Amino acid sequence: MLQKRALMNDTRLLVPTGSGYSLRKSLRQNRTLILMCIPAIVFFFLFCYLPMPGAYIAFTKFNYNKGIFGSPFVGWKNFAFLFTSGQLTLLLRNTVLYNIAFILLGNFIPLLCAILLNEIQASWFRKVTQSIMFLPYFISAVLVSLLVYNMINYDYGFISNIVRQFGGAMPKYYSQPGAWPFIIVLVYLWQNVGYGTVIYFAAITNIDTSMIEAAKVDGANGFQRIRYIILPCLKSTLVILLLFAMGNIVKGNFGLFYNLVGGNSLLFGTTDIIETYVYRALMNNFNFSQGSAVGLFQSVVGFVIVLVANGIVKRIEPDYSLF
Amino acid sequence: MAKKIASLLLAFVLALGLVPAMAETADAVDYTQWFPGVDTSEHVVLTWLVTGNIPTNQTNEALAILNEKLTAAINAEIQIEWIEWTDWQTKYNLALAMQDGTVDMIGTATDWLDAWPNTQKGAFLPMSVEMLQTYCPQTYASVSQEHWDLCKYEGDIYLIPEDNYAQWTNHGFLYRGDYAAEAGLDGIHSWEDMGVFFQYVKDNYPDVIPWDADGSGSSYSDQMLGGWLSSKTGGINIEGFSVPLFFGASTADPYTLSTFFLEGDALVDFATLMKSWSEAGYWREDVLNYTGDVKAEMKEGLTAANQHHTQTWKTERYNIEKLIPGSDVGFFWFGEESQTLVSLNITHGALAIAAQSDAPERALMAYDLIRNDPTFYRLVNYGMEGQQYYVDENGFMARPDTYLDESVQGVTFNFWWGRNDNLELRSAVVDWEAYDALTAVYDAVKIDYPYGQVVFNTDEISVEMDNLSNVFRTYAPVICFGKAEDPVAYVAEFRQALKDAGIDAAMASVQAQIDAVYK
Repeated sequence: MLQKRALMNDTRLLVPTGSGYSLRKSLRQNRTLILMCIPAIVFFFLFCYLPMPGAYIAFTKFNYNKGIFGSPFVGWKNFAFLFTSGQLTLLLRNTVLYNIAFILLGNFIPLLCAILLNEIQASWFRKVTQSIMFLPYFISAVLVSLLVYNMINYDYGFISNIVRQFGGAMPKYYSQPGAWPFIIVLVYLWQNVGYGTVIYFAAITNIDTSMIEAAKVDGANGFQRIRYIILPCLKSTLVILLLFAMGNIVKGNFGLFYNLVGGNSLLFGTTDIIETYVYRALMNNFNFSQGSAVGLFQSVVGFVIVLVANGIVKRIEPDYSLF
Repeated sequence: MAKKIASLLLAFVLALGLVPAMAETADAVDYTQWFPGVDTSEHVVLTWLVTGNIPTNQTNEALAILNEKLTAAINAEIQIEWIEWTDWQTKYNLALAMQDGTVDMIGTATDWLDAWPNTQKGAFLPMSVEMLQTYCPQTYASVSQEHWDLCKYEGDIYLIPEDNYAQWTNHGFLYRGDYAAEAGLDGIHSWEDMGVFFQYVKDNYPDVIPWDADGSGSSYSDQMLGGWLSSKTGGINIEGFSVPLFFGASTADPYTLSTFFLEGDALVDFATLMKSWSEAGYWREDVLNYTGDVKAEMKEGLTAANQHHTQTWKTERYNIEKLIPGSDVGFFWFGEESQTLVSLNITHGALAIAAQSDAPERALMAYDLIRNDPTFYRLVNYGMEGQQYYVDENGFMARPDTYLDESVQGVTFNFWWGRNDNLELRSAVVDWEAYDALTAVYDAVKIDYPYGQVVFNTDEISVEMDNLSNVFRTYAPVICFGKAEDPVAYVAEFRQALKDAGIDAAMASVQAQIDAVYK
């Protein structure tokens, strides 16, 4: 019963199905919702669909004067560079493993934080905590990299100085590739947990309070309420966020990696992702066609992964699939 | 109605007031003689793409005066589109790629601003001789035929070279001369001297980092490796590639490619020396991620050396001396040991006209005036006379007492695309004695850039070049700052990676293109 009521909150149920379905009727019925969607639709149309024909640049030898469609067609030539580099396996491995860590930890920890926040009664404390957690999200990757450098650099870093004060030996992080998966994931979480927490917290506050009160009346304790009410209600949000994230699993967070690692090639073995490699290889000759070819490759792979993941979700729990 | 008449009268009076001013400007020099028969009846606004940060000083005031003069002379005015220094390479190339007719004039260069790759990608307008003779007559006459030939791609002229301006941008180390003297050195003249100097600073000045290199993203590796190569093997850098792997073998044999990166001990020696410098602590441990301002640090006495070029030394010697009297900043130039020095390519600075420009003729006319007319030239290069500069009794360009800081009182056009020694004023704030002494040494050994007639085409080897670029950017900084555990093994690994990335094919293609022109 509780699950059913939770599903009633799902806006997708507002679209009527069955033989009596009529588009006009549906539009009229949901006009407010559709109106609210228009800015997003316009945004995606302008910035995602309208430029799509430009992907043709990946198949051309781009000439500035002739434009994208006037430039000579060269077929798959621009895709060759990534596949002949001998680095693709390493790059894919790094990119995908980092993203898996980001997706799993980046959803699990905010979920946990949101549940914990929800249990806090003092609203001022909740608000302050949320704001402090949210703050790092707005700091640019450039500043984050400076912060990290000034914390952990060997000669003059803040932590290095403290360690030395206590007679310890500071590890040379900027020469140790093995340390960076942990540092990068930690920095990512520090920046993003606050944002994710707000999303999950919003989903929790959307849960019908009468369910939680009914559970209290029935004698459910805090853990039981989380286990049987809150978590099941958050399942659809979690699945949708995960599915969205899957689409970008072969796309790296360029800003974070590029700024944290920079040109320090000692660390490339564990930190080089597709974006940073492409940037390094193409930054000197500004080959927009090859850059676009890599982008297109990532998008196509991402699209296939979303289709597969959505198919799996659909088979297990059809209500949670995207389409 | 009365209001309308009053405003008309006012406009008339104002217009009358302008007449003498316009007459005065136009009378000073009759610019119609520069461009006989050219129709300038339509007013045009020209956009000029220039690298540099947006000025916060008096540039707008000077630009207003410049535009007033340009309007009077050729009925045109200029607005500048600045490509700021943060990520300038990306922004510059993107601005060229997005040509929509809004840009007319482009400051460019074949060595540091990708002029030839951009020419090949269709960014610039081919200029005919007739066009240059008509709209850029003074410049056309002043540039020799030989120099015009070096500005051609597939038979057409694409660049106007800055070929009458003596400057040296060869790299080396600026170092504190006072410390070098204390270390018992009579100037620094070799990499080995440099090591002695660093060790002296390390031992005697614990608060000074011998060379606090900002090695993040390290472009130092290009100069350091190239500098070692020219010092130890006499090799000559060949411009026009996305990655500095191609050098002529020596001044005696410039048309055979150097194999420095592929075999021999020179690279291994460099890697080993840099490893020892790194372990001795001549730069900070995390140098590859450090982004400080070494130039400013040197002025504050926090570091004893800076790796840059002669032109920087020319100005910094004076600036540092002012702040640290007795600092006596010297310059060790790469190539000194083998006496290898190549004159600056004439297209180290050049002007191109945008392929999509709506007013290429007027753009050429404006450039011709700025490059060749003393009034325009001084305004753009030095500022407003009396306000930014004056000519002192010795004929030097001096700054008034009110001129304290270039970023506040100065004028910044970054006109690096057509400076002209015929109109240059010598600055009063340069140690000319030291500079002239150094350039006399340069003049004695310099050779002309030997590859000016080839515009290299990398279409056939683009995949190899991209992969080589990545290999170089991966290995070179580690070698340059001595960060490999075992430098000898690391060089071997680097060489294998270059082979795997296709250096043999790339070198064969470059060699064939050189042979086609010179052999």
